[in-house]
Amino acid sequence: MTEHRSDLAEQKLSTLTLDGELVEFTKGETIYEIANRHRKEVPTLCYDERLEAFGACRLCVVEVEGIRNPVASCTTAATDGMVIKTSTEAIEKHRKTLLELVASENRNVDVNALSGYSSQEMTILVDRYSARTGRFSGKQSGTSNTGDKNPFILRDYDNCISCYRCVRVCAEREGDYAINVMNRGFHTQIITEFNNDLRDSNCTFCGQCVQTCPTGALGDKKALRDADTEGEIKKTRTICPYCGVGCSVDMLSKGDKIVGIQPAMDGPANEGALCIKGQYAFDFIQNDDRLAKPLVRREDGELHECEWDEALDRAAEGFKKVKDQYGRHAVYGIASGRAPHEAAYTMQKYIRATYGTNYIDNCSRS
Amino acid sequence: MPSESNQALIERWKDEPAPLLPLLHAFHNRDGYLSDDAIKAVSEGLRIPLAELFGTVTFYHHFSREAPGKAAPRVCTGNICCLHGGDELLESLKDKGATPMPCAGRCDDMIPVIIGDKAYVGLAKDSLEHRATPVPAPNPGGSSECLFAHIREEGRNTLPGYRATGGYSALEKTLKDSTPEALIELITDSKLAGRGGAGFPTGVKWKAVADAPGDPKAIVCNADEGEPGCFKDRAIMDHDPFAVIEGMTLASFATGAPLGFIYLRYEYPETERLLEDAIEDARASGLIGENILGSGHTFHLYVRRGAGAYICGEEGSLLNSLEGKHPFPRNKPPFPVTHGYNDKPTAVNNVETLASVPHIVENGAEWYRDLGEGDHAGTKLISLSGDIQRPGNYEVPIGLPLSTLLYEWAGGPKEGRTVQAVTMAGLSGGFIAGEDLDITLDEPSIRSKGSFLGAGGIMVFDDSRDMVKAAHDAMNFFAHESCGKCFPCRIGTQRMTERLGGEANTLEPSAWIAEIEDIGSTMMSTSACGLGMAAPHVTKSLMKYFPEQVEAFLAKG
Repeated sequence: MTEHRSDLAEQKLSTLTLDGELVEFTKGETIYEIANRHRKEVPTLCYDERLEAFGACRLCVVEVEGIRNPVASCTTAATDGMVIKTSTEAIEKHRKTLLELVASENRNVDVNALSGYSSQEMTILVDRYSARTGRFSGKQSGTSNTGDKNPFILRDYDNCISCYRCVRVCAEREGDYAINVMNRGFHTQIITEFNNDLRDSNCTFCGQCVQTCPTGALGDKKALRDADTEGEIKKTRTICPYCGVGCSVDMLSKGDKIVGIQPAMDGPANEGALCIKGQYAFDFIQNDDRLAKPLVRREDGELHECEWDEALDRAAEGFKKVKDQYGRHAVYGIASGRAPHEAAYTMQKYIRATYGTNYIDNCSRS
Repeated sequence: MPSESNQALIERWKDEPAPLLPLLHAFHNRDGYLSDDAIKAVSEGLRIPLAELFGTVTFYHHFSREAPGKAAPRVCTGNICCLHGGDELLESLKDKGATPMPCAGRCDDMIPVIIGDKAYVGLAKDSLEHRATPVPAPNPGGSSECLFAHIREEGRNTLPGYRATGGYSALEKTLKDSTPEALIELITDSKLAGRGGAGFPTGVKWKAVADAPGDPKAIVCNADEGEPGCFKDRAIMDHDPFAVIEGMTLASFATGAPLGFIYLRYEYPETERLLEDAIEDARASGLIGENILGSGHTFHLYVRRGAGAYICGEEGSLLNSLEGKHPFPRNKPPFPVTHGYNDKPTAVNNVETLASVPHIVENGAEWYRDLGEGDHAGTKLISLSGDIQRPGNYEVPIGLPLSTLLYEWAGGPKEGRTVQAVTMAGLSGGFIAGEDLDITLDEPSIRSKGSFLGAGGIMVFDDSRDMVKAAHDAMNFFAHESCGKCFPCRIGTQRMTERLGGEANTLEPSAWIAEIEDIGSTMMSTSACGLGMAAPHVTKSLMKYFPEQVEAFLAKG
């Protein structure tokens, strides 16, 4: 027990010098994690905190005393006594050069924010480092696959910077292994097996690749339908109603219109993950085919539009008859996954309180 | 003979160590290319996700995806072969489906053309001949040798011949009378250091592997000699294969590793068969396998053939390649000595390093140290090629003046010419020229000029050569071989190649130079592995030694 305590004490005593300040850290932390904790704003493009650090973009390099070359802070574990400088003149120059290089290989630096959750990352960094200089111009990398017929994911690889966040999120988080890297060097290209369309691959259209893409090379096709719709993008935090997992989502709207859905990276149940339904299946909400008024079946056997009073009376009459004739357990309520949470709550309250039965369920539960 | 079924091939390989490369080669050999069907079968057989496997297959230059595939000629268009007409030879073989390949490690001979599993050499398509690797010429300086001491002896590459010239006495002696600790001490004391270029002390590496927790440990011989202008490892493997095998067996004894691989580059097909046969002969004589020479020590050794990727000579990429993963370099630390093959402690050593070991055990640490000039320990193989009278492999005492090698040993430049520049470390060290040619062949001397000796490839360019073109060809190689993982190298090598190829001559000369310098500086400082860190040596040395050639090139517009 004593020994265990001294271990803990020792662990707590691990310190390093970060930009001149002595800071504590826990064994196993990377330099980037520590710097981030101390709000150092170390830039990255290939980093996604949910994924294994990869070390591709090299923007997060920092100087460590005693090591000749700068080290990638995302892949370097901190050690006791390290002396780290996160933002020297030389480091900032390398970062600017790297951003100029990356900007030079793409068709666009600016992409619509509806493309995806991380889609503005590169733009923001390029501007932060004033890297719209047009230097290093030359061939563009990546070949867009805009012919991919799927209705969800835009594959505009002319804007790809080969950070492989999409490949890694697909493997590490979703476990689909649907996409990978073809060729090498400047000719790397994100592909499915045999370079086919996504729908012919293992892809489940969860959209996680889209949401982690830092350049909008992968874009949310459904949200981008409203790229030109007037209005600011408003985000409303809610919970996906489709199933019992409880994924947090941000519903994107412009004016009165719901234009897209993004997973909440801080959602405790999903940490940025969604499934195809939670991500893309929201068109029904504002669909023209939705009923605007209740319908009742009249004596002619046809459904007719009516006022709420008539509809509710008819429903109550039917329920009452069943309950009186067969007892309270003859009623079984099934709420729709497409209904709002408030409606689902009211539904179970109604079934329990009105009939005295617990026969209440939701279509998404099973 | 009916060709073997997918299932038969998978059954043969799936439970072997490091099965992906040999299995892919088995399909490639059977069909001549890797069909969709073959890739699907391998994916299922080895349980590798299909997209991942497809991506990995496309990484390797020599895996064909369509007919005529393997049977089509691959013509070397490396730097030296281009001086000899490699591009023209390629053009003349285009009707046979010929494709270019980067330096194939035969710069001491005519232009290599690989067709199927045979490497031919020649200068024209009608005069291609299949012939053996040249035996190194007798040491022109009369200096004492280590690696080449017995290599010229008849039959040295057969087991009886090897034993007749002193082979395997080092292993016998060690297994009988020594301990792993004593062997590691001996190698440390000899100051033998990594001859693949990194120069890490071999004894220290072995001790780290021996001390690291985790089993089974492994010894990996890096025979992916991909550095342009390097062909020394091929000479050792073809003419003294048992020295490599005995060296590996000694390394396995020192570190306690029961498993070993020789990772051989694709471009040496004859060497693969020779090594396989040598291992089989050693196994049949109880010199490899279980309970070697009754000592209780076990060492199983396998040859794995690469498929055309310079980066697989980088140890992290090599290990990923062996494990069947996408061959990107690994982030370091951790290093292979603790997390190598299958994340177990692994010693990755170069062919030359391992082949030195039996000689050191036989003759002692002091003997080896004394082979170097002055304070330098040991010898280094130099692959000399290009505009020089007698290209070839030379074993030099470390510290030998470069001028002695060039003029006294190798006969100097061609008649009427002068040496304009030489490359160092193959291509990775860039160029050395002018007064800086007055160096000695050891790291401190060469590093003082901003370059390094590395794997020991030296290409000579005489005064008739266009150095901007030479730099372009070199950078084009690095761009072709960049793995595509880290940004500075992936984009930087491309932009440098475009600029050296005249695609950005509309820039003001000062802007052109500033771009080259900024890319170079960022690549050297921030690249994830040695490829990207080293490639800017080419542009840096070009600007340092040949500013007037750069100026003239930019003036052409």
